[in-house]
Amino acid sequence: MALENILILAAASLLWGSLLRHRGRTWFLLIASVVVIFWLQPALPIRGADFWAPLATLVLVVLTWYITADDETRKQRKNIIILLIVAGVVLLLNLTRFLSADFQLLTASRPPQLKTTLLIFLITGLTLLALSRLTRFSASFLTVGLVLTIGLFLLIKIPALSLWLSSFLRTLSGQSLTNVSINDFRWLGFSYVAFRLIHTIRDKQSGRFPSVDVGEFITYVIFFPAFTAGPIDRLERFIKDLRAPFAGLYFETFYPAGQRLLLGLFKKFVIADALALIALNDTNATQVTSTFWMWVIVYAYTFQIYFDFSGYTNIALGIAQLLGIKLPENFASPYLKPNLTQFWNNWHMTLTQWFRAYFFNPITRWLRSWQKPMSIPTMILLTQVTTMLLIGFWHGVTWNFTLWGLWHGLGLFIHNRWNDATKVKAAAWATTPTRQAILNISGILLTFHFVAIGWIFFALSSPVTSWQVILKLFGAH
Amino acid sequence: MTPEIIYPIAKFIAEKILKQPSKIITADEALISSGLIDSFSLMDLALFIEDTFSVRIEDTELNAETFDNLNQLASLIQSRK
Repeated sequence: MALENILILAAASLLWGSLLRHRGRTWFLLIASVVVIFWLQPALPIRGADFWAPLATLVLVVLTWYITADDETRKQRKNIIILLIVAGVVLLLNLTRFLSADFQLLTASRPPQLKTTLLIFLITGLTLLALSRLTRFSASFLTVGLVLTIGLFLLIKIPALSLWLSSFLRTLSGQSLTNVSINDFRWLGFSYVAFRLIHTIRDKQSGRFPSVDVGEFITYVIFFPAFTAGPIDRLERFIKDLRAPFAGLYFETFYPAGQRLLLGLFKKFVIADALALIALNDTNATQVTSTFWMWVIVYAYTFQIYFDFSGYTNIALGIAQLLGIKLPENFASPYLKPNLTQFWNNWHMTLTQWFRAYFFNPITRWLRSWQKPMSIPTMILLTQVTTMLLIGFWHGVTWNFTLWGLWHGLGLFIHNRWNDATKVKAAAWATTPTRQAILNISGILLTFHFVAIGWIFFALSSPVTSWQVILKLFGAH
Repeated sequence: MTPEIIYPIAKFIAEKILKQPSKIITADEALISSGLIDSFSLMDLALFIEDTFSVRIEDTELNAETFDNLNQLASLIQSRK
């Protein structure tokens, strides 16, 4: 989100929270979120794609709701009304194509022809109708939904598949293939949307899914403050806030929300953007020759990525609070943690919790249940490395994110073993506050530098350059 | 009721997870958010609870939000018995 987007959204939320309060809040959150995902989607080189991407998000969310909702909720008439209103909002956005370009403020480029949108509505409607005719609602739909969501996710994240998708979409819109690139189809917010969808499908499969109407579900998945950069909330928690009466903004509720928002703006647009001027990137990585300056740009990147991301999170939390929704925390001073395990408990917390709940714990449980379980260290190595590799892949299936994931997976494993071997001795040694402080501070410094070196793989697109940067940091190049 | 639940869990954590049998874990001591129990040992704890009390703790419930100390864990177990 750019600064002007954030200020407009914050102002709208502030007005609603202080003037209209609970009145119509559910509708406001739904309609604003639908409009915002079209509004924030950047322009794409494929014709019409900046309109189709958010529309595809909506269709996917509605279909997921349909397969996860229970029979009784699914049949309620209010869902049809909600769907008609959402479709109406999309149609109105589409109709702005007939306005002069000065008034096409809500989409990145001129919206495409109406007939395709109507055709998409028709196909979605017929799919829902076909699903509703099935007398037995099979659990296999959930599996299909899960596979489809993961498949789309891979399509976006694996460069070779993204290139294929771009060529396909270019052919579909009758465009030349000469300039085809993996960045042709940037589907804004999809990384987060997919993870919220997978969470709801998996919870439904394990039998714990609150009954929510289609409007509540759409609002949860594409809730505008958290749409582009998280946090990844849980459905039950979000719905509790959405349904709770909202007394509106008064000093006690406005103050913390405003403070959060201002803190976030300061972190993102003052600190992070200033650090970005000197932070490590593909260009300066090859230009800087001295060890000292290499450390400077690596430190700058380390702080930039933290202030940027945690600043965004503060902005999202602040705006949501103006509307009476308390999103979960995503960062808790991660660079001040004495070990890598603690770092990951406090960095992008909602993502790591997601991976723990839907990957790490099920895998660990499964490995534990073997007749002849493998040794504990092997199990820890396997689960930590695969989890961290997947977290790397979540950012993109490329070598640099693979190495970053591997770095952290191995780091967590080593910390775990080290801790296991030394914790009794360390507890016996650290009997005075001074000794405890020594252990704590050295742990913080070591963890911080381990994370900082890890960021080199994350920041640079080429692992070869990353390796050269690391050599330079230690004066070996 | 609750001490019967808390005591064996506290003993399990001290002996098997922390490997410090003499360590006393109080009922309101933070277990997860403090980093006392890591994510791998958390699964051990869940399996121990499932075996001992015959209640299921879901994979998605192994976090500080669901329970962070022995008191909260005991009431979670009690509510499922």
